Amino acid sequence: MTNSTGNRWSLDRRTFLKGTTAAAAAAAVPGAIAGRGALAQDRASTLAIAAPATPQSLDSEYDVSLGTFETVAACYDSLVEFEKIVDPGDPDALREDIKDYPNNPGRVNMKGKLAESWEVDPDSQWVRFKLREGVKSNWGNELTAEDVVWTWHRKLELGAIGGFFANTISLKRKEQIKAEGSHVVSFNLDHPNPLLLKLQPNLYNPIYDSTQCKAAGGTDDPWAKEFLKNETAGFGPYRIEQLTRGAQAVYKARDDYYGGKPAMDTVILREVPTSANRAQLLQGGAVDIAQYLQPLELVQLANAPGVSVDTIPATFMLWIELNAKIPPFDSIDVRRAMNFAFPQEQVISTVFQNLASPLTGCMPDIYPGFNAAYWEYGTQDLDHARELLKGAGYGDGFETTLGYNAADATQETTAILFQSALREIGVNLQLKKIPAATFYNNVSERKQPMIFYYDSPWCPDPGYSMNLYFHSKSFINYSNYVNLRVDELIDGAAQTGDMDARLAAMDEVQQIVMREAPWVFGVFTNYSMARRSDVRGWTYYTSNNIRFQDFSREA
Amino acid sequence: MTDITAGHSERSRWEAFLHALRFLLAVLRARPLFALGYVIVLLVIVLAIFAPLIAPYEPEVANPTDFLQGPSWRHLFGTDATGMDIFSRIVYAPRIDLTIAIAGTMISAVVGSFIGAVVGYYQEGGGFGSFGAGFVMRAADVLQAFPVFVFAIALVAIFGQSLESIIAAIAFVNAPIYLRLMRSQVLAIRNMRYVEASYVSGASDLMIMLRHIIPNSMAPILAQLSVNIGWSILLTAALSFVGAGVVAPTPEWGSMIAMGFQNIITGQWWPSVFPGIALAVTVFGFALVGASVEVLADPARRRALAGTLRERKKAA
Repeated sequence: MTNSTGNRWSLDRRTFLKGTTAAAAAAAVPGAIAGRGALAQDRASTLAIAAPATPQSLDSEYDVSLGTFETVAACYDSLVEFEKIVDPGDPDALREDIKDYPNNPGRVNMKGKLAESWEVDPDSQWVRFKLREGVKSNWGNELTAEDVVWTWHRKLELGAIGGFFANTISLKRKEQIKAEGSHVVSFNLDHPNPLLLKLQPNLYNPIYDSTQCKAAGGTDDPWAKEFLKNETAGFGPYRIEQLTRGAQAVYKARDDYYGGKPAMDTVILREVPTSANRAQLLQGGAVDIAQYLQPLELVQLANAPGVSVDTIPATFMLWIELNAKIPPFDSIDVRRAMNFAFPQEQVISTVFQNLASPLTGCMPDIYPGFNAAYWEYGTQDLDHARELLKGAGYGDGFETTLGYNAADATQETTAILFQSALREIGVNLQLKKIPAATFYNNVSERKQPMIFYYDSPWCPDPGYSMNLYFHSKSFINYSNYVNLRVDELIDGAAQTGDMDARLAAMDEVQQIVMREAPWVFGVFTNYSMARRSDVRGWTYYTSNNIRFQDFSREA
Repeated sequence: MTDITAGHSERSRWEAFLHALRFLLAVLRARPLFALGYVIVLLVIVLAIFAPLIAPYEPEVANPTDFLQGPSWRHLFGTDATGMDIFSRIVYAPRIDLTIAIAGTMISAVVGSFIGAVVGYYQEGGGFGSFGAGFVMRAADVLQAFPVFVFAIALVAIFGQSLESIIAAIAFVNAPIYLRLMRSQVLAIRNMRYVEASYVSGASDLMIMLRHIIPNSMAPILAQLSVNIGWSILLTAALSFVGAGVVAPTPEWGSMIAMGFQNIITGQWWPSVFPGIALAVTVFGFALVGASVEVLADPARRRALAGTLRERKKAA
């Protein structure tokens, strides 16, 4: 869905009205006017982004807030990254090449970032990286193997989000990460782990400038927790120049970046909490990119002059957790009935304006190993749902509650459509609007019988996805789903380098999960990029965020 | 044997009623805005009672095939993002809004007025009663020091999102208003001769308050009631707008505005504009009724108005 026009500066009544509306919206936004001034001064090399929030912390070890990952992606680099390809459906967009390459080392198509080369054990038990020489951090310190070692030691030591990633690639002890020279580092596992290479580009795994972190933290804070909360110390293309939480963050491109200075010299990430305001700012030309817009706004913007909307399949999944420990969702038949009653087609066409597709599986359909063959809930079938409920002893229906995020308008409308559908099979669904600030607490407490969840697994691997959501010991198995065969298959797949055997195991997991339905399978939502038409270079990443260094402005 | 006295009394009451009705009609003719207020309030009450007969569609049943339809003969006020008929929901909404507003206001009026009467009665007596009255007034000061809306949100957050919680929150934030109104009236009345006479004749404090003081202090309370109902409808809508009011998809004006406001930017103005108009008109109606009650319940203003009407009649 793309629209653009070359006649950007003609002024008619409609354009004038839109411009003044946007100006009014801009005036309501802190710092917006100043930002517009900056745009006027050096528009060609300045990128203004309207985002729902500015980063709270800059340390991804502890913070997963919106904006944090844009910062991490701009200010840090990883050892390797996936190669990029042109999106098959949108020639204006690039995307990571995450397909399975049986003949490549690690079966991935990657290129070096901080590492210029690497060797992988065919059994995936070790990997050795040769680092680039002469790479400087934003503090001027040169990259060495010690930085990589310190980064992973920090994860093991702090045991927060990074601890999860260390555990996921089977790193248990500090000595498993070795500096084999000033610019050579290796990861050595006790048993094979297929994610050893695939997880390196994950945004949770940036490499820190250990020299600066140690100096800033001193003896009181050896892992620089306080320092990294407000500062960046990485080898990425940008440095953060200003962070005013709740207002805006400003990033400056680094002249000494080893990959060459990015086209956009200055990036202004401005907090505009309401999506309608973000859309207005983009339409009026006050910003170049508006993030996370509502589907109707995207459809409208696609027809707006000077604006382009790219929308492509992504890893986003929206589903409803059915709490398997709370009756009646301890019954597989009841869970299946809920899926047969879900008005998926209507939700896609109305709520998501066809910028989504049916969630035909329990992992992203763009990941290797995905199998849609086990999806049987394609057509809403209320009669079958009634039969299943009757068979489960709920022929007269039941009453339950569905929690949804107050900040996500699509969840409320989806919930209302589902409520109307369930009423027809005797299920009285009460809707519970949960404030955004406490929504994820409600999800992680696992005390709601039904609650929406919107997520994407940030590693293109079926074992990773299955482990996250369906292993009984996973901390984000929010549906309390337990199946010992599923656990056994996931555990086995996590410790083998035999990709074919893993794919077969994960296929069986998908079959079981789709049959036992711990979720109401909702939708895959597209990633939609709403931008000014002269902003080029957008690349889609499986982490569903943007990287400033990709963008340039068409002359 | 025919009870002549009883028949005479009934006739007198009927004549008094007719006289009051004629007077009211004369007032409404002289002040058409008052009449408009009564018409609006009556209309809203009729909508609330006869909603199932008036509304063409079920108010809580989604119909995705009619998603965001503009106003038409099929859907007079259009449909919302789930395909629900806006007109039907607007017609049903007073059932919730009026229930919450009237219940919350009445509870606050009864509780606040009674406490206000007790406080006013004992305030000047000295001793423990006076101390207690002072304590109650300071507590009311504290309650009123909080921004009403924030306070209401906090109460709903504490007690949970339900109809009862919203009613309780509205009653709680309104009660100090009635407390103060009644207290000030009682302070003026408690030293009147008829109160003293009642005291001398041996009536208890409670009896004096219930039979002599409270009935003679009701005029400002009654005037406040109508204004407060309108204000409570507004507060209910505001709570729903920020997500602290009724749960979706209950037809309630504030909730409807909240659900629809995102669509204004994309050109679908009807899901929020029509409920907004309904809300504004209703609050306006209650405010007009409140203004009329204020005039009619105050003997001095009522006499002045009656005089004006007589002069106009003579002039005509």
